[in-house]
Amino acid sequence: MRRRQFLVGATTVAGASMFGLPRRASAQAAQTAVDAAKQFSGSEISIVWEAGLQSLDPLNFSGPKWEELTGIKVKVIEVSTAEMFTKILQNHRAGAAAYDALNVIPAWMPDLVRAGALEPLDAMVDKHGFREELQSIAPVYRDNQMMVDGTIYGFPDDGDVFLMYYRKDILGDADIQAGFKAKHGYDLPIPPTTWEQFDHVGAFITEHTGGKPYGATFFRDAPYAQFMFQERFRNEGGKFFDAETMKATINSPAGVKVFSDWVEENKWMPAGVQTWGFVENLAAFLQGDSAMTVSWPPYGRWAAGYGTDEEALSWVPKSQIAGKVGYAVPPGGHPQLAAGFALSVSASSRQKEAAYLFIQWLNSEEVSLERVQLPYALRDPFRDSHFASAEYKSRWPEAPEYLAALGEGAVKGLLDLSIIQTDRYEEALRQGCSRLWAGEDPKAILDDIAGQWDEITERIGVDKQKAAYASWAGNAAAYPS
Amino acid sequence: MCRKDIRMNRHRAASDNSFRLWMIVPAVTVILLIGLFPIIYSLIISVQNLTMLDEDSSFHGLLHYGRLLEDGRFWESMGHTLIFVGIALPAELFLGLALAYLFLDRIPGKQIFVALLVLPVVTSPIVAGATWRLMFDNRFGPINQIIGWFAGEETPLLWLIDPTLVYPAILVAEIWQWTPFMFLLLLAALSNVDQSQLEAAEIDGAGFWRTFRQIVLPAIWPVMAIAVLIRALDLFRLFDVVWALTRGGPGTMTETVSIYAYVQGFQQFETSYTAAMAFVVILLLAVSITIVLRRMEIDR
Repeated sequence: MRRRQFLVGATTVAGASMFGLPRRASAQAAQTAVDAAKQFSGSEISIVWEAGLQSLDPLNFSGPKWEELTGIKVKVIEVSTAEMFTKILQNHRAGAAAYDALNVIPAWMPDLVRAGALEPLDAMVDKHGFREELQSIAPVYRDNQMMVDGTIYGFPDDGDVFLMYYRKDILGDADIQAGFKAKHGYDLPIPPTTWEQFDHVGAFITEHTGGKPYGATFFRDAPYAQFMFQERFRNEGGKFFDAETMKATINSPAGVKVFSDWVEENKWMPAGVQTWGFVENLAAFLQGDSAMTVSWPPYGRWAAGYGTDEEALSWVPKSQIAGKVGYAVPPGGHPQLAAGFALSVSASSRQKEAAYLFIQWLNSEEVSLERVQLPYALRDPFRDSHFASAEYKSRWPEAPEYLAALGEGAVKGLLDLSIIQTDRYEEALRQGCSRLWAGEDPKAILDDIAGQWDEITERIGVDKQKAAYASWAGNAAAYPS
Repeated sequence: MCRKDIRMNRHRAASDNSFRLWMIVPAVTVILLIGLFPIIYSLIISVQNLTMLDEDSSFHGLLHYGRLLEDGRFWESMGHTLIFVGIALPAELFLGLALAYLFLDRIPGKQIFVALLVLPVVTSPIVAGATWRLMFDNRFGPINQIIGWFAGEETPLLWLIDPTLVYPAILVAEIWQWTPFMFLLLLAALSNVDQSQLEAAEIDGAGFWRTFRQIVLPAIWPVMAIAVLIRALDLFRLFDVVWALTRGGPGTMTETVSIYAYVQGFQQFETSYTAAMAFVVILLLAVSITIVLRRMEIDR
């Protein structure tokens, strides 16, 4: 062999191993699913998907593409998040095979598994060679949102995590910085890393600008607020239960502090912020009415104007703040991995393998990277390769910073509480949040919630729930380490 | 009449009775299947222990009924429901009657006005609730804007959170939607009041109130009673508007029995407990309706 031929050959092999082979490996799970699914060509599978923007992914992108590749039609059953758990369980209880594949919120998974509604996936994962690709899902999702008691029941498919978005231009304004230092005796932190700093900065900006813009806004409506409570409570050192007695400890000083701080914060936020949901808060931030906020990842993309010229996003206010937004994990440093979605197969499906192959294809490295970049679909990066994707980083100038913050959130994130009948506990918390906005005393509300939680635990069985809580609390991402 | 004729007549009467009975058998069967079966089924479920995780169909006696008696949230939701019935029903009746009187005389464009007035009734309650939610929005809702114009300053009233405002908000939405129903029925009833009696009363110098009490009210009473009964039952089942506006909040401050049953049955999957709740509500309603019907003397 000539030297020149050797060099060309060696370079080709090295290049292939650096770029080509991983790509082939990453394309394998998707292609394997497509090849195997062709035997079901001509059939139709149904998948439960969150109604609204989320479902545009299977309706406009993945569903038609899957049909083109395999000949299998995908029927998308749109269900609002609030109804998803109920519908899935009702379908299972009724023995109806109305759903083949499912989107489930990972915190529901233990309950759905106990009810027998989800199909174990290990055998099919091995049969169709997906185990290796599952390893490249970011650890916090892979290790905590995929299995129940060591068995795979779903593929984490949505890197939902709360991030803080802040206006670099406002926090960096020399006049505001000088005024802040004069008032508080320390430099205005960009971004604030503790809630105390956050409150100082937010209150100061509102005072300094006369509310144009406000220092910060939040979604305070109870369903969102309960997620924010879970995050902040744990960042303040709170624990949900006493691990020995299973008595609720949500009414500890940490809980009272969070509720009391919220009431104080509302005073320098817009009047009526207590009623704000995802959209109201988004509109305020994108229109430049707020200097800081905390929310799910789409805020960051839309604030940069990414994809907002799409027809599906015509309802999103035109961003007035593109290029001015910084991204960080929220104060406290441990963001809530709020909700998220995993892809599962319904135990009552009559087309389990076809359904499985569809979710393997969706979740594969190759296809998921395309899906998390769909500007309208609300799926957020969840694989290591998503955070590192050069393609994604080129989407808008601050995208690398955005992906870095998401990546940090995936490392430091805190899991939603997930024990037996979690929703009952969360329901009490949601009501507590709305009572707080109605003016009740924080301590009294939290004592009442703790009492309700204890009653729920008693009814489920203290030992049974204690074991479930021990299993959940044993995860590294249950509490800040 | 000879004995033979008497026997034949008796036979014919018996045969007629039997034929009549056979004729109503299908209707009775359908009513039993549709009406009674779910009640019996609920009763059976209520003495089992079906939950989200357990499908325990063994007999558990009155376990859930005992729980129900001690369930403060259930009785509170019952109280909230009665508040809605107690305020909305008289308000709808009064406003409906007033409107019916207003439209009794021939006025130009009457049919168009009536059609417009009836629009809320044909709107889906959940849509009506969602619309009122927008109306009550503290920032963009027209209600706060209008109050602000009159007050001369911004008035960010939190209609759906403030404990002092949340009931008025729900009641306004509910009364807005269902007053036209009362109006329509009462307009029909008033149109059929004997005009000669009214004229005679007028000639005799009877005032409005006396005419109303002694001539109009007895004439429209059967229709009015049925309208009140229908609306009372509807209000007792109140769900959609409250769900759209507050979801029973803040906390459980506006939670009705229907909302509590939905939460227990379809969110918490306490199937047997919810069946017990439904059965108790049905029992309470059946007793109340029987008493009311007897009092109203319209069951004859």
